[in-house]
Parts: sequence; C-alpha cells; structure tokens
Amino acid sequence: MSDIRLSKIRKDYGIFTAVADVDLHVVNGEFLTILGPSGSGKTTLLALIAGLSGPTGGQMHIGSQDVTYTPPQGRNIGLVFQSYALFPHMTVAENVAFPLEVRKWSRSKKDEAVGRVLQMMQLGALSSRKPSQLSGGQQQRVALARAIVFQPNILLLDEPLGALDKKLREELQVELKQLQRRLGITTLLVTHDQEEALSMGDRVMILNEGKVQQIATPEIAYLQPANRFVAEFLGTANIVSVSDGSSRKGILRPERLLLRTSAGTNKGVATVVSDLVYLGQTVRYYLSAADGTSFIAVRPFVGPKFALGSAVNVSWTEEDVWPID
Amino acid sequence: MTPNYAVRTVAIVTLGFLILPVIIVIPMSFSSASSMSFPPPGLSLRWYSSFFGSSVWVSATITSAVLALISSTLGLLLGSMASYGLCRRRIMQRGIIESNFMAPMILPTIITAVALYIAFAKIGLLGTLIGLVMAHTILLVPYVMVVMNVAFRSFDLRQEQVSWTMGASWYTTMRRVVLPQLGPNLFAAWVFAFVHSFDEVVVTSFIAGTYNTVPKQMFSELILEISPTITAVATLLIAFTVASLAGATLIMKRSVQTV
Ligand SMILES: Nc1ncnc2c1ncn2[C@@H]1O[C@H](COP(=O)(O)OP(=O)(O)O)[C@@H](O)[C@H]1O
Ligand SMILES: [Mg+2]
Repeated sequence: MSDIRLSKIRKDYGIFTAVADVDLHVVNGEFLTILGPSGSGKTTLLALIAGLSGPTGGQMHIGSQDVTYTPPQGRNIGLVFQSYALFPHMTVAENVAFPLEVRKWSRSKKDEAVGRVLQMMQLGALSSRKPSQLSGGQQQRVALARAIVFQPNILLLDEPLGALDKKLREELQVELKQLQRRLGITTLLVTHDQEEALSMGDRVMILNEGKVQQIATPEIAYLQPANRFVAEFLGTANIVSVSDGSSRKGILRPERLLLRTSAGTNKGVATVVSDLVYLGQTVRYYLSAADGTSFIAVRPFVGPKFALGSAVNVSWTEEDVWPID
Repeated sequence: MTPNYAVRTVAIVTLGFLILPVIIVIPMSFSSASSMSFPPPGLSLRWYSSFFGSSVWVSATITSAVLALISSTLGLLLGSMASYGLCRRRIMQRGIIESNFMAPMILPTIITAVALYIAFAKIGLLGTLIGLVMAHTILLVPYVMVVMNVAFRSFDLRQEQVSWTMGASWYTTMRRVVLPQLGPNLFAAWVFAFVHSFDEVVVTSFIAGTYNTVPKQMFSELILEISPTITAVATLLIAFTVASLAGATLIMKRSVQTV
C-alpha cells in the first residue's frame, strides 16, 4: 500500500504535449477516477505511472521511493487494460499464477494465493478454461484477479469496463468498488464515462488536452466545477448570469431548476416546453424563453408534468448558481 | 465468348505453361531410357539409384542441408530480432534501416552476389563454409522479416506491457508470453528460409569455391552433359519444396483458426 505523488509530470511527443505538468497526490488507499474526453492523455498518464513510458519532465514518487525512471518491473503495480490483454495460450489459473511464478513464489504459497483470488472473483469453476472460452465480464474478472494476486501497492485500471454492456458494467462497478475497499489498495481508474467517474471515485481528476482541469470529490466537481469545461463535461449545465451586479456567468444543474405553470405565477423566466424526453425515473425538459435563452431541467417522473408547448416559468435560488469564468 | 471466359482461358493456359515443364520432369525421372526422352519408354528407378549412388550428388546434398540448416536458423534468430526491434522501438530512420535488411530480397541477386564476392575476397572468406553461411544468412533475413513483421505487428503490445508490470523481465516475457504464441509464425519463417537457402544458386556459385550445393551441381551438370539423373534430383527438390511449404502454410492456417 502506498501513496503516489506526481510533480510537474509531463510527456511530449515532439512538439505535441500529451500530458502537461501534472501535479497529483493520491493518498494511500484512495480511489481516484481520471476522467477526460478521448485523446486527453488519460492512457498516457497511466503509462507514465506504470513505467511503460518515460516522462519528459517532472518527478514521480510511490511511497518514499523516487520511481521517475524505474522500469515497470520495479514498481509493484497491478494493471488492467480495457482489452484485458489476457495471455490467450494460458488457462485462467495460469494467467493468474503468472505474476507469482515470475516472482518465484513457492509452489504452496502460489497455489494458495491463486485459489483464494479465483474464489474471491468467482472464477473457481473456470480455472482450467482458456480466455477465449470466457465471456467479456469473466475475462474482465480474470484480468483483475491477475492484477491483484501479487499484492501490488497500486492498481491502475484503464477503462476496464468500457467493453461491457451497460447492465454488466453497473454490476461490476459496484463489485470493483467493494473489492477496492476490502483490499484498501490505492487505485486509479481511467474512464470517459462521467457517471462512472463520479459514482466510483473518492476523488475525480478531470483532464483535457493533457492538462488537469480539476481534482476534487465528485460532489464538489459536479456542483462547483473549476471551469466551464468541467461544468459541461460532468453533465448538463445551464449557464445563467450571476445576480451580483457583475457580468459574470454561473452554472446551474438541471435538477436545481424550479418549474411552475405560467398560469399560477409570474415569478421567474417565462418559457415554453420545446421538447421533453422520458428517461425512466426522470423527465428531461427543454425550455425556450422569448429572448432565445434556453434551459434544460430534470424532474422526477412522479410529480407534476408539463406538456409539450405548455407555458412554464423557470426559477432558481441564487445559492445554487456556481460562478465560473 | 464472354470476356470472363476469355480471361479464364488465358489464366489456365498461362498456368499450364508454367507448370507443365515442372510436371514433365516427374515422369521423365522414372524413365528407363539412358538419355532424356519424353514420353519415357518404360519405368525404372535407375536415375534415383544413380543419384543416391553418386558421391558427388550425396555430398552436394549434405552440404546443401547443413548450409540450409545453419543459415536458416541464424537467419531466423537475427531476422526475428531485427523485426521485433523495428516493430517495437521508435527508431529514427526506421525506413532506411528496414530497407537495408530487405535489400537482398529486392536487389537483383547478381548484384548481391558480386558485392559479396568482392567483400569476401578481401577478407578471405571466399570458398569457406563460414562465408557461405554468412552469405545465406544475409539472403534469408528478409524472408524471415517479411513473415515476422506481420506476426509482431499484429501482436498486442499490451500483453507484453502487462507482463512487464507483473515483474517479468523482457526476456521472460519473450519466452513465456510472446514466443509461445508465435510458434507457427516462427516455424513458417524458418521453413521459408530453409527452402530458399536450399534453392539458392546465384550467390552460392560466386562464393562457394570448391563447395558444391545441389543447385550448383545441377548447373554444372547441365553445362557438361545432360544426364537424366538431374530429373531425379529435380523431382526430389519439387517434392521437398512442395511438402515444406504446404506444411508451413497448413500450420499457419491452423494457428489463425485457433487464436
Ligand atoms: N506514441 C505516441 N506518439 C505520438 N502521440 C501519441 C502517442 N501516444 C499517444 N499520443 C497522443 O497523445 C494524446 C493522448 O493520448 P491518450 O493518452 O491515449 O488519450 P486517452 O487515453 O485520454 O484517450 C493523443 O492525442 C494521442 O494521439
Ligand atoms: Mg485511452
């Protein structure tokens, strides 16, 4: 178990900067999610931490050890790729035993550890199968089992659930989170799915074009985004003027908007429902005001509904507006 | 006649034209006549016994086999490593380095032959077995690289990376993760190299000195006198080549299906 400290870590490919001066401290046992659009440098950052790629600047510590130029073999890190990268010529048990064989664990210790991890990951019955005979979810579990069996200090997961369908992904998110808590292992999980990042991380780090936009708890990042990019990347954001006399703008999350039929009140902004979408438990309203401003509101499915084309007044409390820019 | 039919006819005639001379050699080798004739007046194995009874042919065969064995194995080793390095490392001027390795396959063989002749003459390797092995190895490396480039490029680098993070050295990763999966490719590359070495005559003639290989001996015999023994040699070569290449192709195909 270890903490990770990056100071001014960067990676340049010629004139292109994939990761720009990242400062990061992941505390021991923390679950950090790394969120960013495709090409924002997430995989590059993980590769730097794993030692698969050398930084062009900055320093990196795992625990008290300076690992800036340590090869991947010397870092004691468990790694899972989106594609799993299982060894197709080995059985499930052989895949999981591989890191222990490399580390020259004794036979009895090795068998014991492999058996325990396979059981923990519900893979016991599949131990003699080849990866090609497993479903996507099972392959994912094998990759995870192989990454934790040698008790690494750190677990790095690069979009580990990205290849799975939504239902399985949600199940595994819960399992993964429980596993991480049980092992207490410092974990970095890369994803481009904002819900996954917010629901799984103790903290979330948002990257764009190789630069850190914000590192914060999910709640802070969602409600108090550091900038417009974070605000919009983490979900729908209504942009409104801040009523402090300045010309500053602020953001309002869709569930913070209050909607009333215009017949009952003249408070707030008069709008018309221009579209609405049923999302199961919630309804999403698209509202347009006469001056061209538009709002997006989310309301619970149970409760008052507003028909398409009906007149609705939109209002909000000033404390819910978070100033940006 | 539809155009399609015309194209097909041309294709079949061309193929026949290419294959027929090769095919004709086979019945001729079983001929009982004492000079080359077609069709053979009767059947016998006398030219095969003449081949196996001739110390010249047998020693040429042994030289060819030893030479092919050593140089294809060396070629496999060096060609695979060159291929891996060029596929995995970011190297400046990769194109130049790669074309350097591939040159013996692309250049007219006679140019390579003259170049090696001059170079080997300078360092005293002409007419030596070491010289022959070196020359053949140089010629075989590009054949190995063509096969192994495809293999390494389609091999998922992330398997290697995961192996490294789990503590396996580069060497262990090669031995336990990469090579076991590329066995069929390595075997095919080795067979192609072996067959090519066995078949090589131009460079060999220039630098072999007193060493005789099978194709070199065939050439000398054709110049002196045309003995039907040569048809038996040709038939054995055809059988060997077809069997090796078919075997290599089969193993490659099977590996594609199972992965
Ligand atoms: N080896 C490389 N050479 C040049 N550019 C690269 C290399 N690897 C990644 N990049 C670039 O760095 C950027 C970040 O890539 P990556 O870390 O894979 O993004 P993400 O994982 O967030 O999608 C991309 O624009 C990518 O094209
Ligand atoms: Mg990525």
